[in-house]
Amino acid sequence: METREIKALLALMQEYELLELEIDDKKRGKVRLVRAGRPREAVAAPPPGQSTTAALSRHVRAPAREGGKAAAPELAENQRLIVSPMVGTFYRASSPDADPFVEEGDSVRKGQTLCIIEAMKMMNEIEAEVAGRVVKVLCENAQPVEYGQPLVIVEIG
Amino acid sequence: MATFKKLLVANRGTIAIRIIRACRELGIETIAVYSTADKDALHVRMADEAVCIGPPAAEDSYLSIPSIMSAALSYGADAVHPGYGFLSENGDFAEACRRSEVNFVGPRARHIRLMGDKPRARRIMQRAGVPTLPGSVGTGITELRDALADGQRLGFPVLIKAAAGGGGKGMRIARDADELAKLFPLARGESEAAFGSRTMYLEKYLERARHVEFQIVADNHRNAIHLGERDCSIQRRHQKVLEESPSPAMTARLREKMGKAAVRAAEVVGYSNVGTVEFLLAPDGAFYFIEMNTRIQVEHGVTEMVTGIDLVKESIRLAAGEPLGLKQRQVKFAGAAIECRVYAEDPQTHLPSPGVVSSHHPPGGLGVRIETALYDGYRVPVHYDPLIAKVIVQAEDRALAIKRAEAALREYLIDGIKTNIPLHLQILADPDFRAGHYATDFLKRYEGRDAAGELRLAKAS
Repeated sequence: METREIKALLALMQEYELLELEIDDKKRGKVRLVRAGRPREAVAAPPPGQSTTAALSRHVRAPAREGGKAAAPELAENQRLIVSPMVGTFYRASSPDADPFVEEGDSVRKGQTLCIIEAMKMMNEIEAEVAGRVVKVLCENAQPVEYGQPLVIVEIG
Repeated sequence: MATFKKLLVANRGTIAIRIIRACRELGIETIAVYSTADKDALHVRMADEAVCIGPPAAEDSYLSIPSIMSAALSYGADAVHPGYGFLSENGDFAEACRRSEVNFVGPRARHIRLMGDKPRARRIMQRAGVPTLPGSVGTGITELRDALADGQRLGFPVLIKAAAGGGGKGMRIARDADELAKLFPLARGESEAAFGSRTMYLEKYLERARHVEFQIVADNHRNAIHLGERDCSIQRRHQKVLEESPSPAMTARLREKMGKAAVRAAEVVGYSNVGTVEFLLAPDGAFYFIEMNTRIQVEHGVTEMVTGIDLVKESIRLAAGEPLGLKQRQVKFAGAAIECRVYAEDPQTHLPSPGVVSSHHPPGGLGVRIETALYDGYRVPVHYDPLIAKVIVQAEDRALAIKRAEAALREYLIDGIKTNIPLHLQILADPDFRAGHYATDFLKRYEGRDAAGELRLAKAS
């Protein structure tokens, strides 16, 4: 098959959003086309949440798609990821000599402060959106973080 | 050399790429900022570091002063380049940089604010002896009765303009009092929506005028020179489409006269960094100040091609406090340059055409320069300006520059989306354009066809 023909097929696949295309031309016979139900992105990013479940899953999946280049960590079914709502500097404690807000393994209430993002000299407290246990703190103290960057993993419970 | 270590590029698209390249030559590290819609953008890949600053809406990302300042401070930038558009002419942003001790690559905040207030800039130019068009006096007008009184005094037609204007928004031509009564509230509404300001002013409308602007460079030590003109008369709805230098209407004597006026406009306010003084040039050779843009322009490449001066590098050097490297008489102009702005839009209807660029093959060759952030498979987002590429050509004379531009545009393959390249080919082939006989109303001649296209589209939907 010539490059020109392959290109034409690629264009066809793009136009109809085909996932697969099979041609078996022994005298113009056999064809197999597979089309996705919907464009792939629509599956990846649900529209802004209507139900609580939708909102939660959006919260979990958002950083990988929407956030910065920091890769989203693998999460278990009962874990939730807390991401930075703004660009700024990440702090684990309210002042340099204070104890961290939370340590890995700590239990947290819903609404409890997990860390601080400093932006423009403003200290923004980042709260746990669910009650549970802190599994992992993903950033170092005083590290710059971007919008959508994963900060903390909380296990619901 | 007193220069910067790490510069944050507060922009996207072609100008972000342009600034990153300039920084590489200067040995300055770069930080790109981007919205979630731009995570795969070329400027993100090219910069040394990249920081996501917010969601797709520009107000929450590229126009958010807190987000950009926070990125600059958290990631340790010692300078910020605003490019054009977005925050480039926002006095508050320049001020926020100064307060945070981050160098703003551009003029001082007060110069941005002064020139952003168009009636005030007109008054200052009048006092400095720079010619302006007859127009509203004082600080501007908000009420229709004042507009009608000004219209009577000036004589029709008049141009309604927004005091905080820019980008052709809030701008309308009124041919008589009835039209003024109808269009003034409309223009005022547009200005309120775009700039949050109801203040307007009128200017006498000049028929058959050309838009001719002068590039200014000025240092912090009160030295200012001009780098010649750009003719930006080829416009659609007050948006520039094609620019060239020199202007076909220019003579050495006129250039000296207009250049002096432009330098005076910069000097009288103590302006520093790069800037552009825009004039209207009447058929009789009279010229009038319209406004000053206090930033690098989209069409800066045209001047770079004829003068050989890198304006973006110059803007960074000047912001670092370095003095101008050359005197007015050392500025030399070589041949002719033309820039065609390639927009992601339907050439018939002018409607935006975002989508995936399935294949991108830019032209090349002697005297051909492409400024773009496109690549194979790049998705042109719906959220931002449709400018996707600039085709800039330079040649020893205008006739050859036109041929070169035509050849380059024909070679340029952008598959998957529609562009206005066909419109550029039509302009370049037009006998009046080739003869250099054109004014700001030039593109109206194609508008019959536009209207038909829009009608077809309306029926189809």
